[in-house]
Amino acid sequence: MPYHEFDCSKCIPERKQHAVLKGPGETISDALPLGYMATIPGTISERGCAYCGAKHVIGTPMKDVIHISHGPVGCTYDTWQTKRYISDNDNFQLKYTFATDMKEKHVVFGAEPLLKKNILEAFKAFPNIKRMSIYQTCASALIGDDINAVAQEVMEELPGVDIFVCNSPGFRGPSQSGGHHTICIAWFNDKVGTLEPEITSDYVINYVGEYNIQGDQEVMQDYFKRMGIQVLSTFTGNGSYDDLRGMHRAHLNVLECARSSEYLCNELRVKYGIPRLDIDGFGFEPLSDSLRKVGLFFGIEDRAEKIIQEETARWKPELDWYKERLRGKRVCLWPGGSKLWHWAHVIHEEMGVEVVSVYTKFGHQGDMEKGIARAEEGALAIDDPNELEGLEAMYKLKPDCIFTGKRPGEYAKKIRVPYLNAHAYHNGPWKGYEGWVRFARDIYNAIYSPVHQLAMVDISKDEIDMKKGFETRRGLSDAHLSVDTTNNALLRQYTGNFDVMPALRAKTIDDYPYLNRGKSKHVA
Amino acid sequence: MEAAMDERVGLLVDYIMKHCLWQFHSRAWDRERQNREILTKAREILCEENEEPADRLDRCHWVDAVVLARNYKEYFPWINALSRTEIVELMQKVHERMDYHTITGSLNQELTDQHY
Repeated sequence: MPYHEFDCSKCIPERKQHAVLKGPGETISDALPLGYMATIPGTISERGCAYCGAKHVIGTPMKDVIHISHGPVGCTYDTWQTKRYISDNDNFQLKYTFATDMKEKHVVFGAEPLLKKNILEAFKAFPNIKRMSIYQTCASALIGDDINAVAQEVMEELPGVDIFVCNSPGFRGPSQSGGHHTICIAWFNDKVGTLEPEITSDYVINYVGEYNIQGDQEVMQDYFKRMGIQVLSTFTGNGSYDDLRGMHRAHLNVLECARSSEYLCNELRVKYGIPRLDIDGFGFEPLSDSLRKVGLFFGIEDRAEKIIQEETARWKPELDWYKERLRGKRVCLWPGGSKLWHWAHVIHEEMGVEVVSVYTKFGHQGDMEKGIARAEEGALAIDDPNELEGLEAMYKLKPDCIFTGKRPGEYAKKIRVPYLNAHAYHNGPWKGYEGWVRFARDIYNAIYSPVHQLAMVDISKDEIDMKKGFETRRGLSDAHLSVDTTNNALLRQYTGNFDVMPALRAKTIDDYPYLNRGKSKHVA
Repeated sequence: MEAAMDERVGLLVDYIMKHCLWQFHSRAWDRERQNREILTKAREILCEENEEPADRLDRCHWVDAVVLARNYKEYFPWINALSRTEIVELMQKVHERMDYHTITGSLNQELTDQHY
């Protein structure tokens, strides 16, 4: 598998080892991009920092917590509300962000008093919230503020309050992934095992590495509850601080994003003997196998099968409608970390698109192993690309759509390539059976949007067809389909609701007849 | 004969690589355990010799093995016509190739990190 050198990066020869082209018959043992390395001087990385990784990605989705940054206000502002990790408590963690607003004088004279003042003010402003996470930043780390000591002092002064300190300043690692690592280990060391949870089922899991983007966690939790499984905690989307202190009592860790939180599952396995089951929540077949495995583990596979049959019957005809219209379209999977391997194979299998490139901003070599192994031949795999490389790849590969973050997404639009937000989604949730159809619909809408068709015309040189009339998505997508396909009564477009969350959240215990009933005969 | 076996091993390994995640735990010792436990159990299931384990760690490997064996039988129906001896030989070679791709021949520099 040859390394790929970008023309724009010839002046940075180290970059050559960060991209490979998957050739015929080649495997991950032939070549693998370097990963999780310090960004090479001279290349303008699109990564986030370790503080962002700890706070923005992992910590903040916890819903019943005051999340406060000890540092300049910009650190907090730039990690506020840019990812749609919603929650079922009116999005407290999204609505409010807190910072100690360190200035130059605090750098000179110290900011511990400022921190304490801010903590007390925050608890006073939100008297119903008794939990807090404090995030160290570069500034407070460099001056040596003892955040743990201040937190301890406050906990002694305010009974009933519990505070978690995450010492992951921006420079602690080559990318946001360093922050994922730090916060996982810190949470495990400082908080897991400090509260005994209430166990209400014989089947108990932690759902780990799931951040409830536009409701993903609530979709998956619904499946688990329909199987009678207690989701003891979710790390961390829609997750509760105290639930996560009781992770040590689960029977099984169901791991979704291994990139961000496998560390936690590995430690829980070593210390508490809780097994780690890696799953895929995206795509009909991978999700079905994942539910089967969880069901098998607890001896309740029949319950999983019932869900699989119901959901597949309901949503597969709609997925296939989009598959007929997306077949052969070229896409780039350019997410942050785990989605490159969650999607690389199944999006090809179940939506018919060709994955011409996978990349990761902060993934490790293990993520590239998974992504390249799952991608088809001809895929260009890139680690930590810079903007020029992204542009060069798009000009060369000519994708019909890219799935990425908002930074590369914006320059993709400038060169007339439609993009979907892989981190925060467009019209999610994208997990679950219905979610996968919603993702297919978003891809369809992006590729066939008449707006994009117009944008692809360069009025400075292209000839404008003045006789061309009004265009619609359907007209564009069905132009080259056979009559048999367009008239296929078994297939249909998405028929779900605009917002799927109200119906999910309206469910009561009566909608989950298996919950708190039945005995496990298998789990020791 | 050898070429046919090689092709079959390639198909089964490619299936794991595209559909499974258990082979890519982050450290070499984890990958050794995952490959050994899951592929051994999958072989036993294919040979109809496996018992359902009660221990939770064992059980987690077993569920991955059950689903793998089922999918092998569904997507590679020729496996149903193999004798026990042939399945043992086939799965041994699958195990060896998986160990090569994910451990001994892996270019992942983090496999030997002593910490999680």
